[in-house]
Amino acid sequence: MTLETNLVRVISLVYGLYLLLPIALLLVGSVGGNWTNTLLPTGITGQWYVDLWLDTSFRKAFVSSLVVALSACAINTVLALPLAYALYHGARRGGSLAARIVSATPVAVPTITLAFGYMIVFNTDLAPWLGSMPLLIAAHAILTLPYLTNTLLTDLRHLDLGRLEQAAATLGASGWQQFTGIVLPSLRQSLISGLVMVAAISVGEFGVSNLLTSFQNRTYPVVLLQAFYGATGFACAATVILLVLASASALLSSSLVKQRA
Amino acid sequence: MSLLLDKVSYNYPGSTHGLHDVSLDVRTGELVAVIGPSGSGKSTLLKLVSGLETGHTGRIALDGEDMSRTPVHQRHIGMVFQSYALFPHLSVLDNVAYGLKLRKVAAAERHRRAQELLDIVGLGEFSRRAVAQLSGGQQQRVALARALAIDPRALLLDEPLSALDASVRGHLRDQIRAIQQRFNATTLLVTHDQEEALAMADRVAMLKDGRLLQIATPRDIYENPASRAVAEFVGLSTILPAKVAAPGRLDMGFAELFADTGRRAFGTEVNVLVRPEHIRPDPAADAVNRLAGRSGAQRYLGALTRYDFEVQGAAKPFLAESSRPAAEAIAIAPEHLRLLDH
Repeated sequence: MTLETNLVRVISLVYGLYLLLPIALLLVGSVGGNWTNTLLPTGITGQWYVDLWLDTSFRKAFVSSLVVALSACAINTVLALPLAYALYHGARRGGSLAARIVSATPVAVPTITLAFGYMIVFNTDLAPWLGSMPLLIAAHAILTLPYLTNTLLTDLRHLDLGRLEQAAATLGASGWQQFTGIVLPSLRQSLISGLVMVAAISVGEFGVSNLLTSFQNRTYPVVLLQAFYGATGFACAATVILLVLASASALLSSSLVKQRA
Repeated sequence: MSLLLDKVSYNYPGSTHGLHDVSLDVRTGELVAVIGPSGSGKSTLLKLVSGLETGHTGRIALDGEDMSRTPVHQRHIGMVFQSYALFPHLSVLDNVAYGLKLRKVAAAERHRRAQELLDIVGLGEFSRRAVAQLSGGQQQRVALARALAIDPRALLLDEPLSALDASVRGHLRDQIRAIQQRFNATTLLVTHDQEEALAMADRVAMLKDGRLLQIATPRDIYENPASRAVAEFVGLSTILPAKVAAPGRLDMGFAELFADTGRRAFGTEVNVLVRPEHIRPDPAADAVNRLAGRSGAQRYLGALTRYDFEVQGAAKPFLAESSRPAAEAIAIAPEHLRLLDH
């Protein structure tokens, strides 16, 4: 055992703890009885999860999050497929600037700017839609579109879809037949994994949702914030639910990707 | 179905690469191989015939019918790619049947025909497999079956064997040729492997810098190359400058040799081509065109040895091939000294 190996192990351990400790604490807190100003909660109870289940505002928020996420998925499927296709072919003829802009947007444009933009535009007499469900869905869709588009674009390149389309063309397929018969089926798996990513991002999204929701259609993370003003155990349980949702999406997405490879 | 290219020119936008005034014809059932160095335009030629590239001047005609205005998917030409380009989401059988499906052939009939083609290429048992489970050679045979399934008017092969291991290539080469002849398919084969071209083709066309240098049978292009460029590309050679000294005599500078000078005038500068197999090692002292010298680098190739033979005063050594290398002299029969004017 060399010094370097030991050092690497120690660092990995510390980093692992750093990542996992908050989650561990949340798990502990969610089944803990009373937890104020002590290192660990006192007592073990499943009451918080029962309370969550019975709380209507949380249930409504859960459903609201699901509706928004699924709607965003549907919209993005329709938008991202032609967009990725156009960018792929555009890039092959040297129009890659557009592709690069699309790839960079998630990182380059903070989501809060998107939210402020919506607030300014849709709080006017002409378009008084701030707080409405469609606007919320639209914001989530726009937010997550670059992720899906990038996933599809990468897959298009990786599969050398241009070459497959050429082969299909020589066999008698028109442009539309190439798109529906060759491109879409080939993109099935990356579409699914991309959509799972869209859903996971949408479910966990807080910044934009907090600014754009009205009291009626609050999504889960927004309601979660309120929970922290109450009992700690309750808040922990609520957060654990969110974690479970997010982890499930991530695992599902990665297993789909592995299946493809 | 005959294929005709008449004075076809094409320039890639913003470059001088492309084709310049290429005219060639492929008769029904003939396999014409197109060879040439990289950048010679052979892939461009194939893309123009298939319709994947458009915007050329000149005529490309199938059976007399000009194809310039016909889009790719209506040309009814089968194409096989270097990267196989099989559809990963379809089974082997469905890949082969794809073209028939587009033509609205009933399921039972197109599956039957696809299976028949797979049997012909020797992959009958593989019809239900996924594409990814096949080796490179097998994938290429599926690609060939797929191209033939639509009963194409012409068959285009774009370096079909380049991506395969050397051991697989020879066998697959023979198979492709046999299938092509069986279907009497009018075929254009693009390859950078000139041995493949000579072995498979009815005629060989050589391109360089977008121009057609020569189109001839394999024997003709090897034994009677039209120019130095062709002679250097096809087969191994030694090419040396010389001047015509007298009718039937060549002045090489380091020696005078007997050769057929034809009608060339005294003093004409020519290039002399000698194929390595025509150099006789260690001939008798009174042999015609005997050159003394010594053996240089030797390459043992099993059946024979390929070696350099250095003659004093010659610009470069002779490249020779025989079962044993020459020790002190070589001789070249006059009829094996081929004169090239340019």
